[in-house]
Amino acid sequence: MIFFRVIQWVVWKDLISEVRSRETISSMFFFALIVILVFSFSFSMDQQAARELISGIIWVAFAFTGIIGLGKSFSAELQNDCLEFLQMSPAPKGAVYLGKVAANVVFMVTVEVILFPMFVIFFNLDVVEELPLLLLIFLLGTLGLSTVGTLFSAMTVQIRAREVMLPILLLPLAVPVMIAAVEATRGALNGNPMALYRHWLELLAVFDVVFTVVSFWAFEFIMDS
Amino acid sequence: MIAVRGLQVSKSYGHFQVLRDLSFEIATGECYALFGPNGSGKTTLLRILATLHRPSTGRFEIMGHDGVTEREAVRSNLLLLAHGSYLYDELNAVENLRFAMAMRGASPTDRQIKLALDHAGIGAFADMKIRQFSAGMKKRLALAKAVLVRPQVLLLDEPYTSLDEAGMGMMNRFIRDIVKEGAAVLMTTHDRAKSAEVAHRAGVLSKDVLRPLTLDDLRTNDLF
Amino acid sequence: MIHAAIKQVQRYKGWFGTAGGMCIIAGVYLGLVGSPPDYYQGEVVRIMYVHVPLAHTSLLGYSVLFASSLWYLWKRDPIVDNMCHAAASLSAFFTAGALLTGSIWAKPTWNTWWTWDARLVSFAVLFLILTGYLMLRTFIDDPEREARFAAVLAIVGFVDLPIIHFSVEWWRTLHQPLSISMRGVSISKDLLVPLIIMGIGFSVLFFYMLMVRTQMLYLANLLNAKKGRLLSHAHLSKAEP
Repeated sequence: MIFFRVIQWVVWKDLISEVRSRETISSMFFFALIVILVFSFSFSMDQQAARELISGIIWVAFAFTGIIGLGKSFSAELQNDCLEFLQMSPAPKGAVYLGKVAANVVFMVTVEVILFPMFVIFFNLDVVEELPLLLLIFLLGTLGLSTVGTLFSAMTVQIRAREVMLPILLLPLAVPVMIAAVEATRGALNGNPMALYRHWLELLAVFDVVFTVVSFWAFEFIMDS
Repeated sequence: MIAVRGLQVSKSYGHFQVLRDLSFEIATGECYALFGPNGSGKTTLLRILATLHRPSTGRFEIMGHDGVTEREAVRSNLLLLAHGSYLYDELNAVENLRFAMAMRGASPTDRQIKLALDHAGIGAFADMKIRQFSAGMKKRLALAKAVLVRPQVLLLDEPYTSLDEAGMGMMNRFIRDIVKEGAAVLMTTHDRAKSAEVAHRAGVLSKDVLRPLTLDDLRTNDLF
Repeated sequence: MIHAAIKQVQRYKGWFGTAGGMCIIAGVYLGLVGSPPDYYQGEVVRIMYVHVPLAHTSLLGYSVLFASSLWYLWKRDPIVDNMCHAAASLSAFFTAGALLTGSIWAKPTWNTWWTWDARLVSFAVLFLILTGYLMLRTFIDDPEREARFAAVLAIVGFVDLPIIHFSVEWWRTLHQPLSISMRGVSISKDLLVPLIIMGIGFSVLFFYMLMVRTQMLYLANLLNAKKGRLLSHAHLSKAEP
């Protein structure tokens, strides 16, 4: 079916372009490292304080790094007027949207997976048993940021002040994702029984589903006049 | 049949009106050359027909499909070649063509792609990344794409810029070929000589009025 | 046809204004003079007569924004877009008012300018969403694109509101004892009547302001269009050789 082929091709194009140029992931990664360093200077942290704050710091780093990636997702289409090409294309816009979301999730999770060991090292975290669970939380949270973030990236790339408008529009709407992701991460890192924090994971899942649907519908209005 | 039909198309940007009540028809198998001073709205008209913008008032039809309510059908029948080459810098020529065709729901064979690239004179550069292409090569790649797509309606925005003599010849050959196959071509241009070789009809868009030209007019000096 | 309907309604806006004004005056009288001070919170509780209606009206405003945004995407009529813009500005204004009055209430009551009460936090996020909406509108030049993008933003934001509210609620119950919360304010019957009157008054006032503001935006656009037509004529005639 054309729909799924379009998704595959969009994902392939974004991934291959990134593999060949390595622009996006390297800038995201170094930005995240800087964020971690700044946080460690800002809070003179003993072990106790670190455990309390670490989940928040992780997700602040992931969110701001993610915003860089989300922004690049559509600013990369500005080369050679490719955004117009996508607008004029007979391909279903929803498929283009899903492809972009998928590619963004891959980029963001890749950076998160490289970054997380840094957190473990710098803040002396003890995480081995919870790794798969943490990965699930990262995935759900990143998907949450990507669904709305990809939509807004497509929107803001076409307006003035685009770099500042993406976080301004995205972050208030992403409040549930941030709260839920931080609480779930904290629960996992503290080794709490899952029953205590599974409602946060459920909230993330609900957010992901609702906003994938809503953004899928809305994407067409952003691309088509 | 009528391939492109405009019915009182108007376009305003905020308080600035670019097009006013334009009505026109282009039949299948016809090439129309559109002239006009810079800023007269030629490019805007082309972009509206390419479904990039909605007309403020009025309607248009491409191959009988309404330009606003039947967008997907219009887009599958139409191809726009404009200033932007619509190419991805990190991909090579073949990959760009495959991607563009996949977005149209088509999967050309390797042979078809090679033929199209050769036809446009860039067969040797098939594996080169677009980042390294010159402007002229990008235009030729756009031509190769048109060869693969073979649209029913081809919109060309100043197709002769950035092309050398050989390239312009290739472009005109291609236009003649698809027009013979029944496509309709609408081009905006400033190049009277080159367009006279392929155009069946011509017109000038100036001060909101579309004035038809005879082919003789194309050879005289004063158009506007 | 939409224009005709809206123009009809606009004729009654004077009534809305008067009715709203009267309700508020009655509510203020009853609230300040006619009802006793709360046993625990003294005179301060009277700010609830303004805070609660402001909060409700701001949500009413966003609901109007949501509905108009859907309407705009469906019919693409510029006057509907004017209504969206008006609803958003008004809603932002009422939200800011709700936050301010909430803060004014918090200071003498809990000796803090800001409490991380779930409702206040939700309203703070709502305020950010609305200001984001207004900022978005200023950064887009093409009016058609501006209207379309703003409508999408409003709709996505509206769908998020209940989710934001729940996530903040759960978060607060986790991290803060329930005592410091607006929930503590119990409403006795004496307080209820002026509150309802003020509520109705603010809502009616909102619709009045909506009608006025929509008309202002609509006329401003008309003026620009006329100016533009004059400008295009001048531009085109100057191009005459």
